[in-house]
Amino acid sequence: MRKSRWFGLALGAWAMLEMTTAAWTQAKIIGVEGTSFDLVARQDRITLGDGDSMLMWGFALGEGRMQYPGPTLILRQGDTVTVTLRNSLPREAGNVSIVFPGHEVTASGGVEGVLTREAPPDNTTVVTYTFTATRPGTYVYHSGTRPDLQVEMGLVGVIVVRPANPTPTPDCSPVPQGHNEAPPRSLCAGTKFAYDHPDTAYDREFLILMTDMDPRVHRLVEFGRIREIDTTNFFQTVWFANGRNFPDTIANAQVPWLPTQPYNALFLMHPGERLLVRMATLGRDPHPLHFHGNHVRVIAKDGVLLSSGLGAGSDLSYERYTVAVNPCETVDAIYTWTGALMGWDIYGHAPGDPLAPYEFIGDHGANFPVILPSRDDVKFGQLYSGSPFLGGEGFLPPEHAGLNVGGGFFYMWHSHTEKELTNNNVFPGGLITFLGVVPWNVPLESE
Amino acid sequence: MRWKRFLSIVALVSAVGLGIGVCSMAQSNFMVQCPADNDGIDADGDGDPTNDIVCKHLTAGDGFATMADGTVMYTFGFSEVPEDVPPGQVFALRQVKAELPGPTIVLREGQELYLNLTNVGMINRPDLFDTHSVHWHGIPNSGSIFDGLPESAPTVKIGATFPYYYATLGKEGTYFYHCHVEVTEHMQMGMIGQIYVLPRQDQDMVLRSSGNPPYAGFAYNDGDGSTGYHVSKAIQLAGFDSRFHAQHIAIQNLPFAQLKDDYHLMNGRGYPDTINPNLLGASPENNGHFSQRMDARIQARQGERVLLRVHNISTTHLFTVRVLGIPMKVVGIDGKLLRNGSKDLFYETSSLTIGGGQAADLLLDTTGVPPGTYFFYTTNLSELINGQEERGGIMTEIVVCPASGCGT
Repeated sequence: MRKSRWFGLALGAWAMLEMTTAAWTQAKIIGVEGTSFDLVARQDRITLGDGDSMLMWGFALGEGRMQYPGPTLILRQGDTVTVTLRNSLPREAGNVSIVFPGHEVTASGGVEGVLTREAPPDNTTVVTYTFTATRPGTYVYHSGTRPDLQVEMGLVGVIVVRPANPTPTPDCSPVPQGHNEAPPRSLCAGTKFAYDHPDTAYDREFLILMTDMDPRVHRLVEFGRIREIDTTNFFQTVWFANGRNFPDTIANAQVPWLPTQPYNALFLMHPGERLLVRMATLGRDPHPLHFHGNHVRVIAKDGVLLSSGLGAGSDLSYERYTVAVNPCETVDAIYTWTGALMGWDIYGHAPGDPLAPYEFIGDHGANFPVILPSRDDVKFGQLYSGSPFLGGEGFLPPEHAGLNVGGGFFYMWHSHTEKELTNNNVFPGGLITFLGVVPWNVPLESE
Repeated sequence: MRWKRFLSIVALVSAVGLGIGVCSMAQSNFMVQCPADNDGIDADGDGDPTNDIVCKHLTAGDGFATMADGTVMYTFGFSEVPEDVPPGQVFALRQVKAELPGPTIVLREGQELYLNLTNVGMINRPDLFDTHSVHWHGIPNSGSIFDGLPESAPTVKIGATFPYYYATLGKEGTYFYHCHVEVTEHMQMGMIGQIYVLPRQDQDMVLRSSGNPPYAGFAYNDGDGSTGYHVSKAIQLAGFDSRFHAQHIAIQNLPFAQLKDDYHLMNGRGYPDTINPNLLGASPENNGHFSQRMDARIQARQGERVLLRVHNISTTHLFTVRVLGIPMKVVGIDGKLLRNGSKDLFYETSSLTIGGGQAADLLLDTTGVPPGTYFFYTTNLSELINGQEERGGIMTEIVVCPASGCGT
């Protein structure tokens, strides 16, 4: 029902994906590295998943355009970091500031505010925030001035702190063949660590920032009626992953038609790889993020490893199939997928065939357990390859979008407050994105 | 009731449509796949090598449920096809049989489940041609073909059957299932059910006898009996937005943006229906068919351990739940034992917040608890409602009887 409005958009987004890339392009953490960042608060517009255009206040990098969310700042543990803020918003927006939860910040310049020093909307005054990134992890930053309004308007962003002296080692092990269970990652292959412990090794890392919006607020700002805004009766009707609504979440990053929403959220991996999923929420509501395909192992919260003590690793970590991330909270988790114990050979192998990388030996050569119904009996999803097997392909009916290049398994990662899967009354949309598990012969960008 | 207006149209549509359809579809499209278990292996460890394949035949369709304040709501839902219904009659006999929640599926670890889903259509909404699916929420290492996502798998059209297959070895724990097609709408409409896998450790009679009295089972393969229980109850937290359901049966635009549940449910009922042992929901709108077949009463003898398998499938609410007067220990979350290697992560608490899509295994120890009635309820106190009626919603009673027994 009511698909017509989004369907064209969705197809457009997917078609764009197909046209612009030979292979799928996964989301990576696109941010700015360094120790010194010039942020400017600016007003601009974003495009919602239902095609609407919304006025926003957000952070821009230097003379660039405002973006939603603000630039992801990638820091190195131990570095002393300086962030300067200038306020280029319209006068009625009032002062702006930045708070950095989890960091000890020294602020100078500007005027005194409730939480920190603020930049008045004169496009001149510069406030300087300085802190040392003492611990690795995932953090957020957001406006500390009238945050009930300014966070809603888009003055939000994420900080990633990488551990000091990570010891990158080359991928010296061949891809393991035939594991009997989800493989423990060999340290040799684990070239990157989220925290100072091998438990936190990962192959790929993804970021998902979840935010929400009440469009009434943005319209009142646009029409110069800021004084009429009542932030006590917020009622969100739009939800975002990395500043975009589904289906834009799975379009490429930095596409020209979303100039102020540069980040995407399409996650791709090969079987057996370890994904570091950095989750964060800013806004009003917690979002229970459900992971199709497998559990995640939660290893850290708010930049603190779930550990009983120094050197114990993530021994207090736990597995979840849904992780509720509260406003202003961050959660780091490791996700992996091999298809182990499924009871059938996901590659459609005969018993004598060679093993695929990370294939579960116990199911090697096991028959597909059912007879799939006739093609007339079912509706084919746009991300179905036509085959139940990983890397397989098969019949797809006319009109099928044929978007599953390479025969991947696609899993939805979405808010399980299912109301949030809409864009202002239009389903589907909102806080939906996908993980694609693609066979090893489909190349993915190395990190 | 406006829906009655459509019955005549429906009758016409089904008479014409089915007359043609059933003849050609009956044999293949309602085929239930259920292989015999003749491999000689006792996969679930219960001593019987022939009972390791479980076959279910569910239908997905529409129906009506009655709320505790008497309001009748239009629903979508699952129901199980009785074995005496011949394949050619499934469509004719199993329409408007949606249950709230859908049938609970209980498996022993090691068993394989063949779940055949027949889409019988929503006869009170003949304008709809939605497909349906089953998404086993949370099952580890799922294959997308059986994941029920309409984006990445085939989903079954009206008048046809799709076979889902799941292996359960290593997957003991508390889960649930729901339709994933048009998922906000179909879940809000009631396409939700419970599924849990009993651990293989239940076959360990030595460990079971370590309880006093002996345990009926365990929540997980804990190795030491720490999740042993005598009484267990699976409880699903959900909710309905009455305006959404009214708009639905009136064939009006669905208010997704304004969605906010005003009827909060435990196993498809608001208090006090939660403690009513009878079948409910047989309204005239539902042709006298009982659609709400599950209560949420809990009864235990003093000294027994009670396992509550609780999950939240509300499309709009996170709930904090609490038991007053009985110590509560969290032993599992999201289908996983709360343990990391040899380190127990169990914790005792008096309340737990469960968001949509989350599950928790709560162990209540009634040792030393005076006999009486205790309440298990949400501390979101404004949600203790059945629509405009207060003292309802997500609340049920735990009756602790004397150690000598509960009487009759």
